[in-house]
Amino acid sequence: MLEIQNIHKSFGETTVLSGVDLQIGKGDVVVVLGPSGSGKTTLLRCINFLEKADKGEAIFGDIQVDLHQASKKQIQAIRKRTAFVFQNYNLFNNKTVLENVTEGLIIGRKIPKEKAIEIAKNALNKVELEDKYTAYPAELSGGQQQRVGIARAVALSPDIILFDEPTSALDPELVGEVLEVMKTIAKEGTTMLVVTHEMSFAKDVANKVVFMDGGVVVEEGPPKEFFENPKEERTRKFLRRVLPDDFIYHI
Amino acid sequence: MEKYFDATYIWESIPALLPFLKVTFMVAGLSVLFGSLLGLLLAIMKLGKNKLSQQIAHGYTTVMRCTPSIVLLFLIYYGVPAIFINFGINLNDMSSAFFVVITFSLQFGALMSEVIRSAYESIDKGQYEAAVSVGLSNTQAYGRIIFPQAFVVALPNFGNALLELMKEGALAYTIGLIDVMGKANLIIAGNYNSHALEIYIGLSLIYWVLSIMIEQFFLKLEKIFSKGRKDLKTA
Amino acid sequence: MPNGLDIPFLIDTFFVALTGVPIAMLITIVSLLIALPLGFLLALTRINRMPILNQFSRVYVSFVRGTPVIVQIFIIYNSVPLLLGTIFEKYNINMNVYEVNPIWYAFIVFSLNTIATLIEVFRSAINTVSKGQLEAAHSVGLTTAQAFIRIIIPQTLVVALPNICNATVNLIKATSLGYAMSLPEITLKAQVAANASYNYIEAYIAIFIIYLLICSLVEYAFKRYEKRLRKYQIAPAA
Repeated sequence: MLEIQNIHKSFGETTVLSGVDLQIGKGDVVVVLGPSGSGKTTLLRCINFLEKADKGEAIFGDIQVDLHQASKKQIQAIRKRTAFVFQNYNLFNNKTVLENVTEGLIIGRKIPKEKAIEIAKNALNKVELEDKYTAYPAELSGGQQQRVGIARAVALSPDIILFDEPTSALDPELVGEVLEVMKTIAKEGTTMLVVTHEMSFAKDVANKVVFMDGGVVVEEGPPKEFFENPKEERTRKFLRRVLPDDFIYHI
Repeated sequence: MEKYFDATYIWESIPALLPFLKVTFMVAGLSVLFGSLLGLLLAIMKLGKNKLSQQIAHGYTTVMRCTPSIVLLFLIYYGVPAIFINFGINLNDMSSAFFVVITFSLQFGALMSEVIRSAYESIDKGQYEAAVSVGLSNTQAYGRIIFPQAFVVALPNFGNALLELMKEGALAYTIGLIDVMGKANLIIAGNYNSHALEIYIGLSLIYWVLSIMIEQFFLKLEKIFSKGRKDLKTA
Repeated sequence: MPNGLDIPFLIDTFFVALTGVPIAMLITIVSLLIALPLGFLLALTRINRMPILNQFSRVYVSFVRGTPVIVQIFIIYNSVPLLLGTIFEKYNINMNVYEVNPIWYAFIVFSLNTIATLIEVFRSAINTVSKGQLEAAHSVGLTTAQAFIRIIIPQTLVVALPNICNATVNLIKATSLGYAMSLPEITLKAQVAANASYNYIEAYIAIFIIYLLICSLVEYAFKRYEKRLRKYQIAPAA
């Protein structure tokens, strides 16, 4: 359903992505792992044109675009099929929780207001925020804000949701509620591309794990295989560093 | 020349001065209008990518910040007609209000360009990213998400700039504008320069009350526009 | 009106006006020396909500910030001789109040004005230096006075410096209103020179350049100083 070919991206002298390929099928939950600075976030941002790639192609169902020189129309078309969940939530500070969700529906998708509100309420109920419709982002905890962020993405019913380290700005005790919500929508068959440091999520929810390091994909495969039997030395080194001992033992 | 203090002159001066606030307001209003447009243009230049126009806009702001209002006022008052006479246009009979508005528009524009620039820069760029990620166009993202937030941030600074303008505007009397300050001077001259102190105290009371009203008005506005948005208020 | 600028006159006036710079700077420096400590102390009365002084500072700041400097000048210029006259009469002091050098009025007006500005500057600066700093100072056995001198004030200064720079620039600009007190500063000197020949444009261009030079120098000096201060400490809440 989504295929990325040969993405390259540098910031000035620093090369962040040097030829990344990625295939995601419908209903897949793909988790991208890797040390900080490995280019995971940049990959996600290039797919949604929040950064302009230096080179690369995306095949999105029937649309094929050059990631370096996509037209405004193509960018809009791809953005309409994707949704993005940000590390820092990026809720619209000047809008209520409900308006945050309806904004993209009414303005971006031209859905009639009543219908949009209905969709938004459904999405918010799914993330258990039915009592916060009229609250402003500043009145919410980080976990609640990120759940709104997820509802905002889900409501758009995109072909794929891109998650950029959705839990890494949260206090540890708030991580659980967000992962729980992500698990729920994954089970509903939502296609997801998730950059995260949460190994348990990769292990339990993903059906494909991609390990990136130094701007390239080092290894990819089903989580069971990836965690139990990593093929590459760099992967093993990474896993030894990030996993608690009993995690591997447990698997 | 009588030199004793008589408080009744204070209370008598106020009703005589108040009608001339009209002139003060008109001049200030026009300066705010033109100055804000100029400020917007300068802010766009400062935020844009073109290095040259950035430097021009910053240079302009620095020059304005360094020039006393009275110097600018006289430069405009004498300079603008001298420039236009070269093109065969005679501005010597223009009302002094014309030059006052030019002066304070130029000054207010510099102030506003900084107000707009800093308000714009205070908005996290994630707000824009989130807006386009849910399918808003560029224009929609700015119009619906960025500008409304920047507006709230800019409000108190806009209020301050307005107060500044009103106070500096008092100097317009030096080129003969009969606003509230000019009228005060006329009254004093009419009294053969006696009881100047009382008249000036009356005048200062008018300005003081006006400032407090403007301040309160902007506090109210800020409250209305930033309800429930704690982080915006402190931004 | 003659076309073109009278450049020789412009240059002459530039140097005439330059002789007004020392007076403008003297007023600026004296006013700052008076206003800095007083502004700081009054800011403390606002923060600690000291009765009477707090209310007094509030009304004072509100008045000075709410009225044009030129009106303040006229009020002081007209009221001080009145007050002095009464006092001199009462105590039989033989002195003519109208022979007082106008620079004394300037000191009074601009000090009073700058105090009000600095109260607000220091108030917000002190507020940004966290309360924890004072508590930490107390915890290692410093007295409140020591804590202020050694810990709070140095940090406050760094935070307040850009605003003090602004206040200084505004003060220098405001000295151009000294003409209203017949003070021979930059603007008045140029005006007098221009009156003789009606070359007003040249005169105002000359003083325009002088103010530009002075303010640029002052801003540059403050930036240098701020850099030096910041070497020793990173500003809190940057």
